[in-house]
Amino acid sequence: MLLPRFEYHRPARLDEALAILAQHQGQAAVLAGGTDLLVGMKHKLMKPAHVVGLEALEGFGQIQEQEGMLLLGPMLTASALAGEPGVRARATALALGAGVLGSPQVRNRATVGGNVCNARPAADMCVPLLALGATALLQSAHGAREVPLSEFFLGPGRTVRTPGELLCGVKLPAGGPGVGSGYQKLGLRQALEIALVNVAAFVALEDDGQTVKTARVALGAVAPTPILSPGAEAALTGQVISEELIRQAAQAAAADARPIDDHRGSADFRRQEVLVLTRRALQQAWQAARQD
Amino acid sequence: MAKQTIEITVNGDRYEVAIDPWRSLAEVLREDLRLTGTKIGCNQGDCGACTVLINGRSVSSCLTLAVEAHQREVTTIEGLAKTPQELHPIQEAFVEKGAVQCGFCTGGMIMSAKHLLDKNPQPTELEIRQGLSGNLCRCTGYNKIVEAIGDAARRLNPAKEGQ
Ligand SMILES: Cc1cc2nc3c(=O)[nH]c(=O)nc-3n(C[C@H](O)[C@H](O)[C@H](O)COP(=O)(O)OP(=O)(O)OC[C@H]3O[C@@H](n4cnc5c(N)ncnc54)[C@H](O)[C@@H]3O)c2cc1C
Ligand code: FES
Ligand code: FES
Repeated sequence: MLLPRFEYHRPARLDEALAILAQHQGQAAVLAGGTDLLVGMKHKLMKPAHVVGLEALEGFGQIQEQEGMLLLGPMLTASALAGEPGVRARATALALGAGVLGSPQVRNRATVGGNVCNARPAADMCVPLLALGATALLQSAHGAREVPLSEFFLGPGRTVRTPGELLCGVKLPAGGPGVGSGYQKLGLRQALEIALVNVAAFVALEDDGQTVKTARVALGAVAPTPILSPGAEAALTGQVISEELIRQAAQAAAADARPIDDHRGSADFRRQEVLVLTRRALQQAWQAARQD
Repeated sequence: MAKQTIEITVNGDRYEVAIDPWRSLAEVLREDLRLTGTKIGCNQGDCGACTVLINGRSVSSCLTLAVEAHQREVTTIEGLAKTPQELHPIQEAFVEKGAVQCGFCTGGMIMSAKHLLDKNPQPTELEIRQGLSGNLCRCTGYNKIVEAIGDAARRLNPAKEGQ
């Protein structure tokens, strides 16, 4: 399995990278960690004439915190996100998802930008980011735009990003006191496994420490894209959190799931697992919200 | 499409090589630098036979372009021991514990073990197994490999023994 031939570009500055993408519209592929792109190219699923490596771009691997928001550079790797204390505390579900992605070798290369742009319905960073209320920061030679992740994914491998655009960061509200998130992944084996079902939950409590101000439950592998559960959100918002409330929200999430039968599991089994994993993810989120 | 010249440091030696940009680091290590201890099994990130360290982090060299290693430090299984006459303590432990059978996975296993022990000098058995979760072995059944890495951890940290 050899890679198809291409010309390699290593831009050092963002404007350079955007100019290359503009010049080779549709003919250029962006290379981050390569754990999706190079596998796809080896299988000849795509044959880009130009490959634009982001490895030398300055600032693309940074984490910044400003005005209550976390700004994640697209080249942050899964290992960096899983190990970073700030991410573990303020975006717990993302750190947990990044920590169970693939294998150590994959985590050392796989980036958050690659995970988001690759847009698989079960992706271990997409599902947490959706629950955390993240926004994609896109930039092209013609300008910049921000797209909430809830509007970013269009289908398996398809997003609203145009070929001339680069994902330059992911922005999300930084957790703090009264805020928590959790992540649950079910696979058929414990490593190197794409989730059969995965669920991320986010809870923000009012100052009273028990009324739910905001909640989001994101579901993976039960629809063509990662999806939010409107039912779970409605069941939780404004209510006093309790085990019983969490059970109701989990039922609402299972009702929102649109799983299919495939060789890895049946739709019924997946729906049942949504119920279990949502309950656990919400318990995790509640626990974390109470702690800090 | 022109070749690109890259500078890489492999096992402490600096190389300047002109390569086609579509070649993987695994291919260039094996075919151009003749460092054939790095194996290619699945060629798609699943088996770990091609594991090397880039700037100290374990990666699959089959899923890394050689051009991406430009101005970086690569360590392969050939560069682990201090001299060609010696073995590294992890290698010694693999030999003594019988953790090597056909040997095809061994280089990658040892590079993953090196990455693990650099980060976590006293791993639990579970942490060792997690550290090896990107490496497949068709021969040993893994137990002897896990034992060897535990043993290597003790060799590398003799002061901590008995704690
Ligand atoms: C063995 C193996 C196991 C895996 N296990 C898992 C798993 O358990 N869970 C999981 O979620 N995934 C898994 N993956 C998939 C993959 O590792 C992840 O999706 C990873 O996050 C992709 O990131 P990358 O940096 O490697 O992306 P790349 O392969 O470099 O890029 C992926 C796609 O995104 C585009 N892209 C990347 N960055 C940008 C950017 N900044 N702007 C615009 N476009 C961009 C690329 O052009 C490409 O289309 C696995 C892959 C392998 C090989
Ligand atoms: S050959 Fe690279 S992971 Fe299998
Ligand atoms: S010793 Fe043969 S594959 Fe591991």
